[in-house]
Amino acid sequence: MIDRIAGAVIFMVSVSAVWVARDYKAGFGDPLGPALFPQMVAAAAALLSLGLILRPDPNPDAQPLPAFIRQAFTLAVLVGYVLLLEPLGFPLSTMLGTACLALLFGAEPKKAGVTGVAVGVSLYLIFDNLLGLPLPLAPATFG
Amino acid sequence: MDILNSLIGGIAVAVTPLNLALAVFGCFAGTLIGALPGLGPVNGVAILIPVAFAMKLEPSSALIMLSCIYYGCMYGGRISSIMLNIPGDEPAIMTTLDGYPMARRGQAAKALGISAVASFVGATVATLGLTFFAPLLAKAAIHFGPADYFALYVMAFATIGGVTGVNPFKTLLAAMIGLLLASVGLDPGTGTARFTFGSFHLYDGFDPIVAIVGLFAVSEIIMYFESHALSGAGPVKLGRTLPRLREVFEGFGASIRGALIGFVCGVLPGAGASLGAFVSYSTEKQLNDKNGTFGTGDPRGIAAPEAGNNAASGGALIPMLTLGVPGSGTTAVMLALLVSLNIQPGPLLFERQPELVWGLIAALYLANVVLLLLNIPMVGIFTRLLSLPQWFLMPVVVMVSFIGIYSISHSTFDLFVMISFGLLGYALRKFDISLVPVVLGLLLGADMENNLRRALSISGGDFNILLQSPIALAIYAFTALMLAFSFGIAMRRRGPRSAK
Repeated sequence: MIDRIAGAVIFMVSVSAVWVARDYKAGFGDPLGPALFPQMVAAAAALLSLGLILRPDPNPDAQPLPAFIRQAFTLAVLVGYVLLLEPLGFPLSTMLGTACLALLFGAEPKKAGVTGVAVGVSLYLIFDNLLGLPLPLAPATFG
Repeated sequence: MDILNSLIGGIAVAVTPLNLALAVFGCFAGTLIGALPGLGPVNGVAILIPVAFAMKLEPSSALIMLSCIYYGCMYGGRISSIMLNIPGDEPAIMTTLDGYPMARRGQAAKALGISAVASFVGATVATLGLTFFAPLLAKAAIHFGPADYFALYVMAFATIGGVTGVNPFKTLLAAMIGLLLASVGLDPGTGTARFTFGSFHLYDGFDPIVAIVGLFAVSEIIMYFESHALSGAGPVKLGRTLPRLREVFEGFGASIRGALIGFVCGVLPGAGASLGAFVSYSTEKQLNDKNGTFGTGDPRGIAAPEAGNNAASGGALIPMLTLGVPGSGTTAVMLALLVSLNIQPGPLLFERQPELVWGLIAALYLANVVLLLLNIPMVGIFTRLLSLPQWFLMPVVVMVSFIGIYSISHSTFDLFVMISFGLLGYALRKFDISLVPVVLGLLLGADMENNLRRALSISGGDFNILLQSPIALAIYAFTALMLAFSFGIAMRRRGPRSAK
């Protein structure tokens, strides 16, 4: 069943890709033009997704709810980290991000905190000072 | 003696103090990455590519470091297979079969020693093969025209699933998804913005490195909660770290056989280290399993697959360097590295940048010796690091990936692209759709399209040009054969299941 849904989604995306690409105009001395290759690929994808709809594999096992919750939180931490990276600066946001991830991966709160501080500071020192890669240091509001 | 002279030139490049230090660092880091479960060579190399850029290394130095990481991963994968019964990376799966039973019997040091020697044999055979066959193939490939290259790309995509028996519809579909993603951005021929939806950030298309780190590393982290139990048993006791010299050479014959089989598997398109290990193990088992000892801790059962996977991963470098067409996930990542260093792999690479190619080959010989030293006398360090908790490792991996990707363009947009690719990778894995063809499509899409357009502008739009060259025809014939074979296997496998 899940394969049929995936197949249907890919089918719709490919058909709309063929549709979107129809406006791309060919240049001089380029008989193929920018449209044909993506259209060929998308058409092939559409055909193959029909194969998925017609002959789906058996469903994979659904993951248990606790795993799903952790996954959702992990994703939230990743997105939150990116949002906070420039406003908070690298060391601070990395401390927070690392500590939260360590918690999600099963660390005790105290160890997670220590890991966060250690990783945030040492990665900053290694990459910014040692390897000369400029990373945002201080909260942007102070700069 | 052209080759010998070139090789001597390469050694001169490889033994400069900086390159030597990078090679040793690469070997150490690679073994560690390979040994830690969940962090395979694809992830390891992909995450460290931007780091190599940040260090502002010369192309040849960056290539040497990352190739040593690549070779190191192949050595390291066996450590956790033997100690934990968890393969450190995919090709090391076969090593668990006999490696873990040996470790359980208290012969962990012996198993690690045998597999290190086997890895050395495999990697050395492959590097020798690379030295002698790659220049030959490069010479032949100079005669390839655009139509032949197009055929070559078609073959790469059609055969990437190989004979693994995964649903071939899904493998092909994955390649198409990758090719479609590759066409996002400004079309180099006409400047038309394709599939950018008005976003200027997308005009450059997707950076393959961002996509690779997302697809593999980020999706691995999301997947982790499903695939691994949160607690794990500790490693088996190592006991004596140094095995006896005589013990280490048990299964030497199996290593040689495994290395030759693995090398052939590696050079063939659509096969990688995993297949090399698998074929070597099953061949050795058929030849020599007279008393049914395979699977219970037979030394030959460790030697054959380890030699096989190392030889295959070295062999896989040949099509990548000479044709620009990688056959496996990790070589695809190595190709991404070359492309981001502005190096165009292909037949001309050997003529135009000999110091780079031969420096790399010489570094691989050197890496093999360093790895043997790291993996026999010093293997204790790595087994101790195996007990590092996942709650420490995973966040560090995430943060290093973030730094690497951020350093490419200093924009958080790339980081969001990376997370999105992580979600895509997770979804594809859930649907049992392989990620390697996606990456390959993304990497090769632009070249594939360029060769098609070049061929058609030579012929003035006549599609017959694609079928006029004998080289292209031979490639299509081989592709059709491989496709028929993999669909055949898939149908047969499906038969009994749907009958139920």
